[in-house]
Amino acid sequence: MNHIENLVVCTDASRTFGSGLSAVVAVQGTTAQVVPGARIAIAGPSGSGKSTLLHLMAGLELPTRGQVTWPSFSTDAAERTQDIGVVFQSPSLVPALDVAENTALPLILAGVDEQECRARVAEALERVGVSDLAGKLPEELSGGQAQRVAVARVLAQRPRLILADEPTGQLDHATGQHLIDVLLATTAQIGAALVVTTHDRTVLERLDTHWSMHEGRLLTAATQGVLS
Amino acid sequence: MTITWLAGLLRRRTGRLAATAVGISLAVALIAALGTFLTTSKATMTARAVHSVAVDWQVQVQPGADPAAVLNTVTKTAGVTAAERVSMAATTGLSSTVGGTTQSTGPGVVLGLTPTYRHTFPGEIRQLSGSPTGVLLAQQTAANLHVRPGDTVSIGRAGSAPVVVIVAGVVDLPQADSLFQKVGAPPKSQPSAPPDNVILLPQATFDTVMSHASTAAAPAPTTQIHVVRGAPLSSDPAAAYESVIGAAHNLEAQLAGAGVVGNDLGAALEGARSDAIYAQMLFLFLGLPGAVLAALLTAALASAGADRRRAEQALLRTRGLAPRKVARLAVVEALLVGTVGGVLGLGIGAAAGRLAFGPSPAGSSASTTLIWAAIAFVAGLAIATLTVLVPALRDLRTRTVAQSRHAVGRPHTPWWMKSGVDFMLIAGALFVFWASSSNNYSLVLAPEGVATISVSYWAFLGPALLWLGAAMLLWRIVDLALKHGRRPLARLIAPLTGRLAQTGASSMSRQRRPLARALVLVALAISFAASTATFNATYQQQAEADAQLSNGADVTVTESPGLRVAPAAGAGMQSVAGVRHVEPVQHRFAYVGADLQDLYGVRPASITSATALQDAYFTGGTAKALMAKLAAQPDAILVSDETVKDFQLAPGDLINLRLQDSRTKKLQTVPFHYAGIVKEFPTAPKDSFFVANADYITKVTGSNAVGAFLIDTGGTNQSSVAADLQRRLGAAATVTNVTEARSQVGSSLTSVNLAGLTRLELVFAVLLAASAGGIVLAVGLAERRRSLAILSVLGARRRQLRGLALSEGLLITVGGLIGGGLIAWGLSQMLIKVLTGVFDPPPSVIAIPWGYLTITVLTVVSALGTAAMVSARASTRPAVEELRDL
Repeated sequence: MNHIENLVVCTDASRTFGSGLSAVVAVQGTTAQVVPGARIAIAGPSGSGKSTLLHLMAGLELPTRGQVTWPSFSTDAAERTQDIGVVFQSPSLVPALDVAENTALPLILAGVDEQECRARVAEALERVGVSDLAGKLPEELSGGQAQRVAVARVLAQRPRLILADEPTGQLDHATGQHLIDVLLATTAQIGAALVVTTHDRTVLERLDTHWSMHEGRLLTAATQGVLS
Repeated sequence: MTITWLAGLLRRRTGRLAATAVGISLAVALIAALGTFLTTSKATMTARAVHSVAVDWQVQVQPGADPAAVLNTVTKTAGVTAAERVSMAATTGLSSTVGGTTQSTGPGVVLGLTPTYRHTFPGEIRQLSGSPTGVLLAQQTAANLHVRPGDTVSIGRAGSAPVVVIVAGVVDLPQADSLFQKVGAPPKSQPSAPPDNVILLPQATFDTVMSHASTAAAPAPTTQIHVVRGAPLSSDPAAAYESVIGAAHNLEAQLAGAGVVGNDLGAALEGARSDAIYAQMLFLFLGLPGAVLAALLTAALASAGADRRRAEQALLRTRGLAPRKVARLAVVEALLVGTVGGVLGLGIGAAAGRLAFGPSPAGSSASTTLIWAAIAFVAGLAIATLTVLVPALRDLRTRTVAQSRHAVGRPHTPWWMKSGVDFMLIAGALFVFWASSSNNYSLVLAPEGVATISVSYWAFLGPALLWLGAAMLLWRIVDLALKHGRRPLARLIAPLTGRLAQTGASSMSRQRRPLARALVLVALAISFAASTATFNATYQQQAEADAQLSNGADVTVTESPGLRVAPAAGAGMQSVAGVRHVEPVQHRFAYVGADLQDLYGVRPASITSATALQDAYFTGGTAKALMAKLAAQPDAILVSDETVKDFQLAPGDLINLRLQDSRTKKLQTVPFHYAGIVKEFPTAPKDSFFVANADYITKVTGSNAVGAFLIDTGGTNQSSVAADLQRRLGAAATVTNVTEARSQVGSSLTSVNLAGLTRLELVFAVLLAASAGGIVLAVGLAERRRSLAILSVLGARRRQLRGLALSEGLLITVGGLIGGGLIAWGLSQMLIKVLTGVFDPPPSVIAIPWGYLTITVLTVVSALGTAAMVSARASTRPAVEELRDL
């Protein structure tokens, strides 16, 4: 039997914000793993802890209890971010850089040479349908366009794990579907795992594994399994 | 809603509010402290002018008038506290026989004083030796006659036999110039020097000694009524001058021709009033730019948070809040920062004033302080309105909600750049400077005897326009460099940012507007600090030069005119501890045509070992070159500008002077050759004089008698060396030192606490420079925390984030220092030229305070470095926290 190494392992991970009476437990005792090629949708009502769990998986938040590990990735946090691409729910483009420069950022940080960088940026922008916006500044984009650029930035990065926090939330249905198509096609092409938080049933249906969260608890991961 | 919003602002936007309030507080503190300084220094000037005169008025009783009636009228005049009669008569000469030899003097003056005179006018007569009552002899007369208390002196009387009196004491007459003035005569016809020979008699003795005058063919004695006034005066010298002049005219009208008022107090206030205007100029030139700078700093700080404020306003508007209510919130914010900044500024101003001027500056009063506190507070509120409220209201009026939510736009070329306002301002500055300083320029014109003072306010325009124009030009240059110089910029910041160099350069290029604003602000602050410091250092240098000029050297021994002291006497002085060099200087009188002028005989090779000769003292060559000329050509002579014009002299022309031959005691013609112009010379008067080679004068007059010994003490221990020398030389010579001269010769402007003003300005300048760099950068970077957080999420290392912050700091530091240095250089040149009336003598070299400038640069660099490091450290917070926070 081939041994498959997990990309992310959450072991009894909890994340609490604040302390004392005002403490808010966003994620509670979560145990889950993500393996290469996984396509997971996390659903749940607003405030159920979906985004926080995603941030824990990305290493952007540290668990207040339990642990999150990345067995396949570097132990160096900065290097690890090159293997993990995150699409945020809110605008996450650098205002002073244009679309092409924003898309190229993770590549530049990874030390990708200029020519390849340019090619990968062009390809990523093409894939999400915003090539014509390459020279625009974030403030000149609509919310949907900015979100597509954020996705393009992750695609150009070609990470082994893509964590997308409601990526279609600001898009119309058709564009949202197209974006999911692109994400699925790219993850398939580069063999990356994809974890998406969403409220959108059509997005849920496109993904193999469904996790459900309620009041900070991951309800279905253990029962439904994590492997695609 | 308003309370909720205010509470939210205080909780969530503490940094932005605090930074804006700090900017306002600096402006308020500077205005309050400088305003108080201005008022108190005016009051100090008035008080010092009043105290500087021993006699307020000298009423000359006119021939034929009854002195008793005049005294009666004067005494009854409002504002007069005390009046004393003083009699004056001429003597044909004084003589004495001491130790078997008889000494005689030329004509002199006999004074008759009432028994209470010295009590009423304590500043007029200073006791040197003997008894304070009885017959008193002026110090120089006593030296000429070789007499001491107890010796006898014979007073020569025209048409009668001399009278012998016993000398009771020797005195000094510190205010002899005004005491022996020709009352009522215009300044140009006043005697050039007080009489050499003066004897003071009790009034009864005077009446007896001079009783012959009514019968003999001798000029009748004259009478003056000396007056002390007690009327309260305005603290403003100009107003005080006007009231004193008016009162004097009123008295003359009451006397109806029986007396003419010599207004000593008016003359002293006349000098003080133009100095007060200069103090006002200093306030305008040095204080106002500081306040403007603090306002600009506040504007920059407020605008650093403007994007977020706009976004917040947009949110409120989309949630349905009426623009009027949004405007009210902006008013609340402006009031909050204005009030907090104002209160803080008043505290800082009070503390700074206390540090700079001491606990209670002379002339300060609670009302003065309150008035300036109120002015400063209102100015603080005005700055808050202009920098916080006005932009917010403008945005509300002109921007759509969508526009307001944008953070970074494409920087557009501002209108002033398109229309070249910066070039116009610089051209305007140069034109005003040229026009105002080309011909007979005088910043302050206070004609003698005229109540009004005219100030050339136009002259302010030059430096003001240059400051603004140069700052805008710097902005233009930075804008262009950042717009078109991404590649070189990336290369420059690569050592700090590594792979992010190109990204950093692109980001800086698009953020060029806030970066240029911060850089220009630093440059303005540095130029303010540097030009203020340079101006102050040059002022101190010239004040020292003025004191040196007046006194001659660190210590000067002036021999009595009647004595013939050879240069060899200097050898004895050389042995006094602390003396480094003794330089003899001859002092003679010479006629050029019918004009009598002072002639100084110097040893050109060694004169500079005892005193400093600045190039500005001469025309036609440097000090060194002209001294070399005197050495090489013994009959060379340096003359005044006026003499050159009067006699149409060209270099090398022959000038025949008439000098007294010591052997024959007759005037003989001595040929000299004109070698250059001398405007100032140690110990020389302000008017025309000559400087020539001492050996040549000795040869042609047969006398090497020294007028004064200039003594160098290495700039230290002047007072103790002078005291030692005075003990050794006794009353035969007058020993003065530069320390006394500093307090005596300086105008009332120097006597006010300019050192305190300097300290205050320099501290504020450093604070402004540091704040301009540090706070503006920190606030700017804080507004870009989101960008740094995104970079961190994408894998940027701490080092790279720090590099990005440091790159911005470095750009602002280097650009600000270079730009500020250049602006300061130009501004200092212009300021010193424009304020030339403040300097006496005019400087030939600008003094650059390297120590202060180094401290300023280090402070600015540290502030910017700290701001960049703190911002970089803040960016290492968990990125999601940062993104969630914003």
